[in-house]
Amino acid sequence: MAAEHTLHAPEIHEGDSVWSGGKEPFKASYGKLMMWYFLLSDAFTFAGFLISYGTLRFSSPTWPVPDFVFSSLPGGFTHKPLIFVTFMTFVLIVSSVTMVRAVQEGHRYNKKGVVFWMLLTILGGLCFLGCQAWEWTTLMGGEHMTIRRNPFGTHIESGVYLEGDGHDIKAGDTFEKGHTYLIHKHEDVWKPLSYKTETGEIKEQQFGPKAFGALFFFITGFHGFHVLSGVIFLLIIMLNVASGLYSQRKNHYEMVEKIGLYWHFVDLVWVFVFLVFYLL
Amino acid sequence: MAHLNYEEGKKVVFKGFVILGIVTIAEVMVALVGKGYIIDGFHLPRFIMYSLMITMSFYKAFYIVFEFMHMRYEVPGLVRSVLMPTLLLIWAVIAFFSEGNTWYHWRKKVNDRPISQFSRAASSHSENSLYHIMDTKNQAQEKPMHAESEKKDSTLEKTHK
Amino acid sequence: MSDTHTTHVEKDKLIQELGYDDHFHEHHHGDKYQTNFLTTYIFSQDHKMIARQFLITGIFWAVIGASMSIIFRLQLGFPDADLSWLKPLLGQWITINDAGIGRLDPEFYYALVTMHGTIIVFFVLTAGLSGTFSNLLIPLQVGARDMASPFLNMLSYWFFFLSSVVMFYSLFISTGPFAGGWTAYPPLSALPQASSGSGAGMTLWTVSLVLFVVSVLLGGMNYITTVLNLRTKGMSMWRMPLTIWAFLVTAILALLSFPVLASGFFLLLFDRGLGTSFYLSDIFINGQALDRIGGSPILYQHLFWFLGHPEVYIIILPAMGIVSEVLSVHARKPIFGYRAMVYSILAIGFLSFIVWAHHMFMSGVNPFISNFFVVFTLIIAVPSAVKVFNWISTLYGGNIRMNTAMLFCIGFVSMFISGGLTGIFLGNSSIDIQQHDTYFVVAHFHIVMGVAAFFGMFAGVYNWFPKMFGRFMNETLGKIHFWVTMIGAYAVFGPMHYIGMAGVPRRYYRFDNFDAFKDFDDLNKFITVAAIITFFAQILFVVNFFWSMYKGKKMTEQNPYGSNSLEWTTPIETGHGNWPGKIPTVQRWAYDYGKDDKEFIPQHTPLAEGEEHSSH
Repeated sequence: MAAEHTLHAPEIHEGDSVWSGGKEPFKASYGKLMMWYFLLSDAFTFAGFLISYGTLRFSSPTWPVPDFVFSSLPGGFTHKPLIFVTFMTFVLIVSSVTMVRAVQEGHRYNKKGVVFWMLLTILGGLCFLGCQAWEWTTLMGGEHMTIRRNPFGTHIESGVYLEGDGHDIKAGDTFEKGHTYLIHKHEDVWKPLSYKTETGEIKEQQFGPKAFGALFFFITGFHGFHVLSGVIFLLIIMLNVASGLYSQRKNHYEMVEKIGLYWHFVDLVWVFVFLVFYLL
Repeated sequence: MAHLNYEEGKKVVFKGFVILGIVTIAEVMVALVGKGYIIDGFHLPRFIMYSLMITMSFYKAFYIVFEFMHMRYEVPGLVRSVLMPTLLLIWAVIAFFSEGNTWYHWRKKVNDRPISQFSRAASSHSENSLYHIMDTKNQAQEKPMHAESEKKDSTLEKTHK
Repeated sequence: MSDTHTTHVEKDKLIQELGYDDHFHEHHHGDKYQTNFLTTYIFSQDHKMIARQFLITGIFWAVIGASMSIIFRLQLGFPDADLSWLKPLLGQWITINDAGIGRLDPEFYYALVTMHGTIIVFFVLTAGLSGTFSNLLIPLQVGARDMASPFLNMLSYWFFFLSSVVMFYSLFISTGPFAGGWTAYPPLSALPQASSGSGAGMTLWTVSLVLFVVSVLLGGMNYITTVLNLRTKGMSMWRMPLTIWAFLVTAILALLSFPVLASGFFLLLFDRGLGTSFYLSDIFINGQALDRIGGSPILYQHLFWFLGHPEVYIIILPAMGIVSEVLSVHARKPIFGYRAMVYSILAIGFLSFIVWAHHMFMSGVNPFISNFFVVFTLIIAVPSAVKVFNWISTLYGGNIRMNTAMLFCIGFVSMFISGGLTGIFLGNSSIDIQQHDTYFVVAHFHIVMGVAAFFGMFAGVYNWFPKMFGRFMNETLGKIHFWVTMIGAYAVFGPMHYIGMAGVPRRYYRFDNFDAFKDFDDLNKFITVAAIITFFAQILFVVNFFWSMYKGKKMTEQNPYGSNSLEWTTPIETGHGNWPGKIPTVQRWAYDYGKDDKEFIPQHTPLAEGEEHSSH
């Protein structure tokens, strides 16, 4: 190569485009980019689960009505559809809001503010986990829905009950096609009720689609696991903030921003879990 | 990176909280009204109810990503690089769900076959009556153990019908 | 050649005067890197060391995976032969009858086939290929000091290592490793009682692959962010070598498809351990209906192949990238149709996500939806053909150096064409229904993604061995390796097309008891012999590899091939941070070969007076 080359300053012909190298084309540090792409891949994991849910639901002849299944409240209230889970959703939204506040305080380098709002976020996360624990306990302990057995069935025709179950259903109660029922357990024996259809046939309730129970516990469990790990990471990062570790760093409170992204993602997933399990 | 000053940011947060709250309540109301809990005897058609709820959920997701996760303030390239791959899921959803639907119809076809062809054993306390046709003892004894050939056989029969 | 070669001093001058100073070596954060044996060789955070770790672990697995194929080829070619000499190696899996004849246990035959597939696909051709070369080349060729996150990069290797340990352990348990095929379809994978490998073997298999997914994701995130954020000044996307484009798209594919595999595996773990029925329905065991209903094994297949199809491109794209680069360097010509190459990589990447069900035409997929999958699948032929024609055009009229790396590149193109053409057969559902699960399929995918990807990997190893170890591999041994492998691979897989067309099914323990397949006994013997010879050629490669590491010809020039890309501007002993002083700035694209009567012009050389950028 020509040694007599006159060396001149680098001339980058593609202009000063952000893509010309030596720059961050997305104006985001590698850490934030990696968090975004991790969340993207995690979104695909959840998509895999939720798409499996949809597929199994499509393949299933009946599906329990969520308003019937999720209708208990703490304190022994029953038949209050969706109220508890709406509360859970609110808890998660509020914790997301407090997280945004923590990030904003981080931009102002306000250590105390960050710690305060993160603490609230952690409390929100714990509250959500508590709610979920209560919900699971009710479903498993009270209604005996487990990952293997789903006592919530759906009527495929209209009819009238011939006997009662000792709870809400009495002999002579009528029901419509599409309504969900719950098969109760009496002294460790399942007691499916017999009923008479409109054509006069005598039939018995069947168990509901197994996939419902399995998918519910699996997907909400996986989401709950994300919440739990989020809470743990929030706790660690909050302690780091409080110790003043990040104020010495060049990128200051970027860590708070990153865990914030993760936390909002957990909220985002809940939007879809809420949609498919509780609303549709 | 926040393109808003502190006070504006705080307002946006409050606004976000209100919007998400309202949309969530609206979703729940649609679910309850649609299924006849609020007004006796009034049901929304499923299609309308479901599309309303799905639209609102996607709006919530959009709001969380764009405001809370600050996507609105990122450069378009980042937004595209994160959001465009999720479009791949559209085809996945179509294909998977149509598959689920197919399984439903094929199972139904199997179950609706004239029973007389098969020596049907009493389907005692099978958990799901839809599958009792597979429960016939003869069939099972002819091909013990081979779950897969069982599956293939029934598929064949299904398609031949 | 000497007049076109730049000397050390001039090179350094280019970097010194035009490079840019990121003050990297003034900081002390580099000190944690290579201070003692542990941080240098074991828990290294240096991308070059991690690349070597990936490569050597990959070679280890390749030897195991290939030996397995030799054992089951022996069984297929010579079903009556005495295998008692394998007793010391396989122990209880060889049963010696009264006549003293040792036989391979049929159960273990399936385990061998399964493990062969799993090991080669995931551990060798995913981790060993893209893990090695993405790690080695991305920072070097884009002009970065290291990966975006060296720590996560290290974790990526160690998760892979952990996954390897678990898989390796599963080979030695008394019930044997998993034996239901590398795709692990339920119910064989979902019911622990289904076969002897479905118990502990399958559990370990799943655990191992979940760890593997973690490793791939950590790696993938790193590769993407490094390519986006850490390119040196002037290295715009359109100036990146094609290797980097290929690794980038590979990483994106991995990032999007492996999580779906993980979701499939999590559901599978629940089916195995907790009695759910996501994948199970209508199962009979000893005449008893199982209490597991409502799921569908096809759901697993969909989830698996949603990964599985991108996975084959995760395997082949890095090989394509390496081949494009090596072809161009050793043909001393710019790559033909650079932009077309990039667009076809992107197109292949996109299409790979919407064609997965073409693996399932015979599984009972709705024939209506199959139509779409057929059409999408056949469209992949277009970008693939663009790439093939561009490679051939690059070779045309080139001043070709027939060294081993180049030979393997040409071999790659040959393999990719012959394997790709049979892919067009199989992509049509109507033909696939005939060919499904026969040796035709085996031949197709072994040629197009097995042998071809291995050829890409060999080309890469021979070409960048000096960058990795400062020495050259032995060319004579390399050429023997190439010719035996090339001829051997066609001798093994060519006849398989034929017996596959005749309907011989894959995954059978022996064929001589079927009247229909008796005629192929001699052909099977031929395939086995060819496979054994090819296997020994690979052993030759391994010997060459480790011998050259210590005794090979020393690298004396910084840029031995006269290559344009930035990795050859680093010192021969590339240290931490890759460049001792400043980082070179990039002035031109990577393929200025034979321009203006200069044999090559490295990327960091500024344009001469009046010189125009090559249009590409």
